[in-house]
Amino acid sequence: MSRKNNEPRLLEGNGFQSVLSSVVSIIIGLLFGMLLIFIVGALDKNMSMKTVWEGMRLVIGGLFSTGRGASGELAWGFNSINFGNMLFRATPLIMTGLSVAFAYKTGLFNIGAPGQYLMGAMTSLMIALGIPSDKVHPVIIWILAFLGAMIAGAIWGAIPGIFKALLNTNEVIACIMTNWIAANVVTWLFDISKFKNVTESTKSGYIYKTTFNNVATTKLGLDKLFPGSQINGGIIIAILIAIGIYILMSKTTFGYELRACGANKDAAKYAGLKDKRDIVLSMAIAGALSAAGAALYYLSGNTELFWSTYQSLPAIGFNGIPVAMLALTNPIGVIFSALFMSMLNIIGLQITSLTAYNEYITDVIIAVIVYLSAFSLLIKQFIARRMSRKKKEGAK
Amino acid sequence: MTFLIQQTLKYAIPLMIVALAGVFAERSGIINLALEGIMIFGAFCGVLFVNTMQDTEWVYAAYREDKFGTLQLVVVMAMIVAAILGAILSLLLSFASINLRANQTIGGTAINLLSPAIVLFLIRILEGQNTLFLAKGDAAEWFMINKTMFGYGPKESMGFLGDTFVHKTYITNYICIILFVLLSIILYKTKFGIRVRSCGENPHAADSLGINVKKMRYAGTTISGALAGMGGFVYALTTANCSSNGDVAGFGFLALAVMIFGNWKPGPIVGASILFGFFKCLAAGYSSIDINGDGIFLLKELGLSPHLYRMLPYIVTLIVLAFTSKNSRAPKAEGIPYDKGQR
Amino acid sequence: MDQKDDYVIEMLHITKEFPGIKANDDITLQLRRGEIHALLGENGAGKSTLMSVLFGLYQPEKGEILFNGKKVEINDPNDATALGIGMVHQHFKLVEVFTVLDNIILGAETTRMGFLQKKEAREKVKALSEKYGLYVDLDAKVEDITVGMQQRVEILKMLYRDNDILIFDEPTAVLTPQEIDELMATMKEFAKEGKSILFISHKLNEIMAVADRVTVLRKGKGIGTIETKSTNTQELSNMMVGRPVQLQVKKDKAKPGQAILKVEHLSAPSRVHKNKNAVHDVSFEVRAGEILCIAGIDGNGQTELVSAITGLGQTNAGKVTLCGEDISHASIKSRSKNMSHIPEDRHKHGLILDFSLADNMVLQRFKEKQFQHNGFIDKPMVRQYAEKLIDKFDVRSGQGPDTMARAMSGGNQQKAIIARELDRNKELVMAVQPTRGLDVGAIEFIHAQLVEERDEGRAIMLVSLELDEVLSLSDRILVMYEGEIVGELYPEETNAQELGLYMSGAKRMDRKEAAV
Repeated sequence: MSRKNNEPRLLEGNGFQSVLSSVVSIIIGLLFGMLLIFIVGALDKNMSMKTVWEGMRLVIGGLFSTGRGASGELAWGFNSINFGNMLFRATPLIMTGLSVAFAYKTGLFNIGAPGQYLMGAMTSLMIALGIPSDKVHPVIIWILAFLGAMIAGAIWGAIPGIFKALLNTNEVIACIMTNWIAANVVTWLFDISKFKNVTESTKSGYIYKTTFNNVATTKLGLDKLFPGSQINGGIIIAILIAIGIYILMSKTTFGYELRACGANKDAAKYAGLKDKRDIVLSMAIAGALSAAGAALYYLSGNTELFWSTYQSLPAIGFNGIPVAMLALTNPIGVIFSALFMSMLNIIGLQITSLTAYNEYITDVIIAVIVYLSAFSLLIKQFIARRMSRKKKEGAK
Repeated sequence: MTFLIQQTLKYAIPLMIVALAGVFAERSGIINLALEGIMIFGAFCGVLFVNTMQDTEWVYAAYREDKFGTLQLVVVMAMIVAAILGAILSLLLSFASINLRANQTIGGTAINLLSPAIVLFLIRILEGQNTLFLAKGDAAEWFMINKTMFGYGPKESMGFLGDTFVHKTYITNYICIILFVLLSIILYKTKFGIRVRSCGENPHAADSLGINVKKMRYAGTTISGALAGMGGFVYALTTANCSSNGDVAGFGFLALAVMIFGNWKPGPIVGASILFGFFKCLAAGYSSIDINGDGIFLLKELGLSPHLYRMLPYIVTLIVLAFTSKNSRAPKAEGIPYDKGQR
Repeated sequence: MDQKDDYVIEMLHITKEFPGIKANDDITLQLRRGEIHALLGENGAGKSTLMSVLFGLYQPEKGEILFNGKKVEINDPNDATALGIGMVHQHFKLVEVFTVLDNIILGAETTRMGFLQKKEAREKVKALSEKYGLYVDLDAKVEDITVGMQQRVEILKMLYRDNDILIFDEPTAVLTPQEIDELMATMKEFAKEGKSILFISHKLNEIMAVADRVTVLRKGKGIGTIETKSTNTQELSNMMVGRPVQLQVKKDKAKPGQAILKVEHLSAPSRVHKNKNAVHDVSFEVRAGEILCIAGIDGNGQTELVSAITGLGQTNAGKVTLCGEDISHASIKSRSKNMSHIPEDRHKHGLILDFSLADNMVLQRFKEKQFQHNGFIDKPMVRQYAEKLIDKFDVRSGQGPDTMARAMSGGNQQKAIIARELDRNKELVMAVQPTRGLDVGAIEFIHAQLVEERDEGRAIMLVSLELDEVLSLSDRILVMYEGEIVGELYPEETNAQELGLYMSGAKRMDRKEAAV
């Protein structure tokens, strides 16, 4: 048995196994979606087989849909609006996905991303709309709004962290409660604010767009690449943050400490690491990431927040969970899984507008993928163990 | 007072039964985070059943002719349907966590994502909108127990007890209470109960005594799924006018909190449910609560923001959990996949 | 039929494999009716696996089991129970929050219409416990009773099921010498009544004292079966280990220097019952160049005492001084400046199982200058350091520093921890059950390392449950009983019997004498 082998490390093969297991989950998820479309279509008297066939094709290729041609048949091709919007919608998903993945690496299940996201949305909007742009440069307002959101999210994320660290409260329940509290706080504060959109009388219940105060994320010329879409520089910021989180987790002493706490809290304590501080810190960072996602979404200048949100939580927050799980909590993987999720989102819109089906089919697909990811971690471990055993036997 | 008690029970009873659902799963060793999702699914199935039955001649005739027995039977049947389908949905969790030894938190979360997605997908196709209502009329008119059924005139009183616990209630309340008592006895006094509990505490001990841990955990989780599905329908019937919209507003998670606060024991869970039910009731109806019957709506006149009342149940949950978590004692083996090889 | 060949159980050519290891390799074991048959082997020799096969917890790949000469399939413990086989497991299989009675009836409940009928069960258990002198409190919760009583519960579980083939898996590990004597007497009584007993142990004296025959296992293989009358401990030990064993630790007399650790009037809360004290007003000191051993039965406050000193647990009162510094309320980190700690539970505290061996080696040190630059970990450096320790302490693993700790054997995991802790060169070495569950080779190695540390002038505080280890390794012994130090003894002036009396509370020095 050679102890100092310099063969490629298992970790590199590990990446391949991870991608493989995620791809398998995606394929099964999509097949399930198509199956559901087929079953519902077959049972529903109002749907023809043509509709079923269209629905099934859109589930796979909806991103390349260009609507219906003159003949009424589905038309296909590169759709710059779809692509640009996919990138735009992926931006907050990358952030909430990072949030969940980061907390997960440190042993915490952050189901509180929706609440943190809402607090970020509120803070960024209040700062972006509250500081007059004729006195302060809009870019500075943007930066302040972005940072403000992160601080608010960090505080909101830290709350369940503190409960967990000091009082041993189950973080899942604490997160759910802070979600609903956030939903009510946001509704309350906007209700008494001056930011409710009253000038456009066609809409009620929305907050002004930030362009109302001349604040908007820079486009960085991306809108030229994808004309007609909502894309802006936010996607670049999100990708950079993902890379930063990757480096932080895997290369630094701080990352080592957090991972140690996550993998074995008792051993971390034994080694003199501050396990309680690390729990709070990790939740705070996770909260800041979610909130930053909200800031990137709402500071874009062309999105509006429905403020009376006390009865519902933002789906983007919850979808951080599937994004993180599909990426097997790898920060770089999060970028790709978020793109995939936002592609599904676009597909959902296409299905709703083009067929008798609706966008919830994509939520079903996402749920199936999460379900599979619950044991894809196990499948991956299984493959890894098999490989290392083979190696050992080979060495004998 | 009558109003306050009725409103509190309206929330407390589904909470209680769903918290007991949590108890059965966790006492067998499986964390059932999917209570919320199963409730949503149960609510949909039950409401859809009632909705479909309303269109049948048998039921509609019973409604026209005031045969309230038949209508109550429809409600009971809907409860059973919701329970069966809730149990089936929970098999997804059992299979993943018992056979595949998957992460139970993620498995539960997947069901929580899956259930509203499927429910909304179907409602949208059935109704063309996001909510499934009754086919005809409203729940109170069709299914609520009324004093007139017992021969009282509209102006007569049934006395305090009658007015509070019979008039304007649903049969579901009493079925839930009976089930709760029955299942609690089963959990503590029967062979099945002691075996289920042993699997949540020390599955290795149970296994060494010839108890089939997998079977017991399936049993616990399936009962859990049935109760949660039923609870979901009860919630929809009594608080949402028998409608379903892919949401129970975090009620399943509140039930989990009630379970933790109740220390995984039926007795304390009753108390916890009533406490939480009270705050839910405040949130929903603070403006129409007349505490001592003097015609003064005290809470409304306090002038506090409605947002505050709406937040209250969640804040109370958080605070209560904070104070009880340190000493709470979860079943020792919950959440840990059972592995024969490990000792 | 000749009485000699009246076998009640025969396990023939049993082979049981686990991923990567043959735990049982063609083992044959024949149990006569009414005999006490010992199964001897080191930790990891395959004794427990063989018994789990007999008990239906594992299914063998090859081989067969005969019951009264007829072939039987034992697929789960129910089958075993049906054949009258019962087992007291090494790690008790008890539900801690259940009462004693509930534990005894679990799995063999009498019911009427599904409802438990505990009254009859209670009568039956009471009768049994009186008959064999196995006293238990039927209504106490298992978590509240002593380890000795828990073992009696396990024995009653077998008797309640009317088992007459009884397996005892390392039953003496948790008992005092006096309790061991009682257990042996009970076992002999069972044998006299015609019950057949399998007694698993690695302690030669006990086997010689109680068993009729002994089957020896080594590294998963059967070495042979012999009558105890025709053998001796030395021969058995050679059969078990495969070479002559150094039964005594080689060491010179200690030359104690100044006190490194001083504990004064320390009280600490219990882990199970937070509002009760598990350590009461304990005072002692550990000097440089000596191995001080805390002896006692498991659960008498040793864990809490260690936790209070290392900072993992709480202190209710008293003062702890390390190298002249008051550390009573110091953080774990600042305590570890002068203390290394080989923890009791290597999986809970000692290692991060999903980290590589290299990462585990710098668990306390990754922030030191040599392992990081500006907050970025210097991975080549960490690797190099890990390789150095691996060489020095002969830690064996599949992929060297890159091996996941989880993939290593228990002995090598322990060696890795010991390597990490001893290489930190601290004044005090806190070693809690450092050799638990290891084979003789690893035990000898670890003992030698500890003696070497002592000779370099470090203070060693050893907590051990194994009397042999206590007597052979320590320079001074403190006995803990119910959270107090009840005796201070010197290994050359005492013996196992006397230690046992202190450990069971039957004997105690008065406080002044004991509290040094």
